[in-house]
Amino acid sequence: MIDSGFVLPTLALVIFVTVLPAAAFVAIMIFLRPYPRWAAGASITAISVSLVSAFWLIFRHWHIEVPIQYTVRWVVSGDLYIPFGFLLDPVSLLMLIVVVAICFLVQVYSIGYMSGDPGFSRYYAFMSLFAWAMTSLTVSPTLIQLYIFWELVGLASYLLIGFWYEKFSASEAGKKAFVMTRFGDVAFFLGLLLVLLHFGNLNILDLNGPGVAEQMAPGILTLSVLLIFGGIVGKSAQFPLLTWLPDAMEGPTPVSALLHSATMVAAGVYLFARMFPFFSHSSIAMSVILAIGTISMLAASTMAMVSRDIKRVWAYSTISQLGYMIMALAAGGYFAGVFHLTTHAGFKALLFLCSGVFIHHCNTNDMYEIGQRGGRRLVAPLICMIIGAAALTGLPPLSGFYSKELILGVLADRHNAIWVAAGLLGVFLTGYYTFRLIFIILFPASISEDHSGHGQDAHDNRLNERLMVWPLVVLAAITLVLGFFERPLEHFIGLRHTADAVPTSGLHWTLYISLGLAAASVGLAWMEFGRRGAAQIGFVERIPVLNAFFSERWYIDRFYRFLLDRVVYNGIAALCAKNDEKVIDGSIDGFGRGTARTGRLIAWLHTGMVQYRLLIIFAVMVLLGMYVAF
Amino acid sequence: MTLSAILFYILSGVILAATVLAVTRRNLVHAVVYLVISFFGSALLFYLFGAPMLAALEVIIYAGAIMVLFLFIIMMLRVGQFQEEMFPLSQWLPAAAIAAVYIFVGAVLVYTDPTNREVLVSAVATPQAFGRYVFENHWLAIELVSLLLLIALVGALFLGKSSPHRQTPESRRET
Amino acid sequence: MIVPFGHVLLLAGVLFMLGMVCAVARRNLVMILLGVEIMLNAATIVFIGASLRWQEMEGQVFVLFIFAVAAAEVSVGLALIISVYRRTGSVDPNNYNLLK
Repeated sequence: MIDSGFVLPTLALVIFVTVLPAAAFVAIMIFLRPYPRWAAGASITAISVSLVSAFWLIFRHWHIEVPIQYTVRWVVSGDLYIPFGFLLDPVSLLMLIVVVAICFLVQVYSIGYMSGDPGFSRYYAFMSLFAWAMTSLTVSPTLIQLYIFWELVGLASYLLIGFWYEKFSASEAGKKAFVMTRFGDVAFFLGLLLVLLHFGNLNILDLNGPGVAEQMAPGILTLSVLLIFGGIVGKSAQFPLLTWLPDAMEGPTPVSALLHSATMVAAGVYLFARMFPFFSHSSIAMSVILAIGTISMLAASTMAMVSRDIKRVWAYSTISQLGYMIMALAAGGYFAGVFHLTTHAGFKALLFLCSGVFIHHCNTNDMYEIGQRGGRRLVAPLICMIIGAAALTGLPPLSGFYSKELILGVLADRHNAIWVAAGLLGVFLTGYYTFRLIFIILFPASISEDHSGHGQDAHDNRLNERLMVWPLVVLAAITLVLGFFERPLEHFIGLRHTADAVPTSGLHWTLYISLGLAAASVGLAWMEFGRRGAAQIGFVERIPVLNAFFSERWYIDRFYRFLLDRVVYNGIAALCAKNDEKVIDGSIDGFGRGTARTGRLIAWLHTGMVQYRLLIIFAVMVLLGMYVAF
Repeated sequence: MTLSAILFYILSGVILAATVLAVTRRNLVHAVVYLVISFFGSALLFYLFGAPMLAALEVIIYAGAIMVLFLFIIMMLRVGQFQEEMFPLSQWLPAAAIAAVYIFVGAVLVYTDPTNREVLVSAVATPQAFGRYVFENHWLAIELVSLLLLIALVGALFLGKSSPHRQTPESRRET
Repeated sequence: MIVPFGHVLLLAGVLFMLGMVCAVARRNLVMILLGVEIMLNAATIVFIGASLRWQEMEGQVFVLFIFAVAAAEVSVGLALIISVYRRTGSVDPNNYNLLK
């Protein structure tokens, strides 16, 4: 590890990548609020410089062997030493590129999408805030610093989800997202404390090093891994904390593309990848994590099958794909998980941005209505969307195919066949719900006339749409070619850092089965939705029980509502209120009342029957006698 | 058990019984009469203890003057019309409590002091000896007591005087 | 030889207690005064007994004074009762609570 002798340009590059967006945020919030164009300009300039710096970094350090760390002393207290700074190793460099590239593309896209919105400058300010937080999270050298930026990313998410705060459901969704991820963050912090207590410091390189297993007892290690994974469950919307992500679709579509598909929710998976050697020490925890990932993946896929809202479908899909990544990492497939993270960022952002164009044009989120209003007339977004959908399903030669194959290969290498079976089932479901959506838009039951009209508004609209299309094209191109970068990237990430990783083999028997299942699912979707004269009702929707179950998100929300109402409000809150009323107020009032009552009693003795005064005399006499006697 | 001892115990029994009865009578006249019996018993006790002069004085002053005075006042006040609530609990209970404690403490005090075991030796103070002793040693106290009696006389006269303007209950009844 | 001194003290004590009960637990002004008389009588018994025990005359002398004082006090007390009765028409001590 190189602690000093740091080549200055690299440090400057890292600082450009992380701090420039922060500067843009501050500049916009303080100076540029009244000038939307300047705000957008500042933000995009910052993120472009960050992008260039990130590319420069990765090309300079393509052959990086040893992680580069640059730190300053931050918290020193007795034995505790927490530095602040940057840590660069292959996975962080890769993630940096992913994050900054998608931030850039989304910000360009937003010029068109958010034009005319009264909160335009505020939007770009929050975008820059997010960029700063996410990039700093990526290059954090200690878990504490990562946690700080983890929270900041959550804050940016809250601000952006509730961006249209006048709409009640949007602010509710922001609140829900923040509170749910908070639960995960509490577990994360407890895990951090546990590690700090038993290991002594929180440096990522130390935690991933060989000394951990000696210093921490196995039980403590498993517990801390599970607690830190709790944070991942919250942030990456895994079971059971997954219901905030569909509701987070209340935010603008570019926000969903950036945060809730490609980068923020991927932060959880990134943390897992970062701490992969540390997590691998505990096989119990890894099995639990594998199970949770599987459940999330399957549950979210089923929920996507019955959803009518375009963005909700992609949200469920995100949860599902994150489940895949977590399954891969938990099964030991380090590169498989990281690669799927990369490709997923690309094609999921693509899918969201395409949907954004449709939503912007047709003014509705409902896929049936988009179809009916002539969504398929938007040719470029439609083609990009089909490319993205194919990648998601895992059709060759797109990037999603390669990454999914890696994952299935890793799962197949495990002894228990249930995991690979679940993975293959997931492939089938993914293809089904993806192409259900495509076919509903492509082949609507009825189609209305082109109401886009002429005139200045329509002209502006078309201008915006053309602006929005360019990022789509870029992302589609990336999706097409990224698959061929698998070998170089694998070499870049390097197996040396991951002693417990499973080396990826070549063609696997799972390849054929998954291809067959993907094709079958597309065919089923075609039959139900795409054929001429098809009823456009899915097989799941025909079964009312299943339909209700999946639509209600497996009743998880209902369960949380019940828990909140019964346990928290009626139980704990009522208990606290009663305590406040009866015990605290009661004791204070009682104190006062008791004093008054005692006073009244003494006054009564004083003013009551005359003969009591005689009695007092005798009583005193008796007391004197007692004093003398005893 | 000498005769004197037996006499003492009998007299104590009489005194206590009479006093208890006096305390618990609703009719005030009955109470006063029982108390007179108690004072007679007391006088005999004094005689037993060798103070014949005081025994006589007890009968004359206490039983004779004071109790008769009580009777006069009772009859004057016509308290027969007043139905007293006998032994209300709120008054009786604290009194009983304190009385119990008092008796207990008294008993303890008496029995823990060894000088109390001494048996009294009977002696008699003849009136001459008594009178000589008083006037030789306590003549000032006698003078003061006579002054006190004078004050009491004046006070009683003044307090008992009925004011001319007010209608007293007695005069009200006559009209 | 008569009785141990302690017995005399006990007799006087019980008598005193009875007098106290009468003074405190009866709802009649006259009975209060009567209780006081009983208590005074108990005191005189103690003095006589003590005089005999220590074979001194002082005890008996004091009893004389007690008699005198008791007489004075009873007369004034009864006069007070009459005066109070004339004012309020009742001898219930609970009615005299103007000092509340």
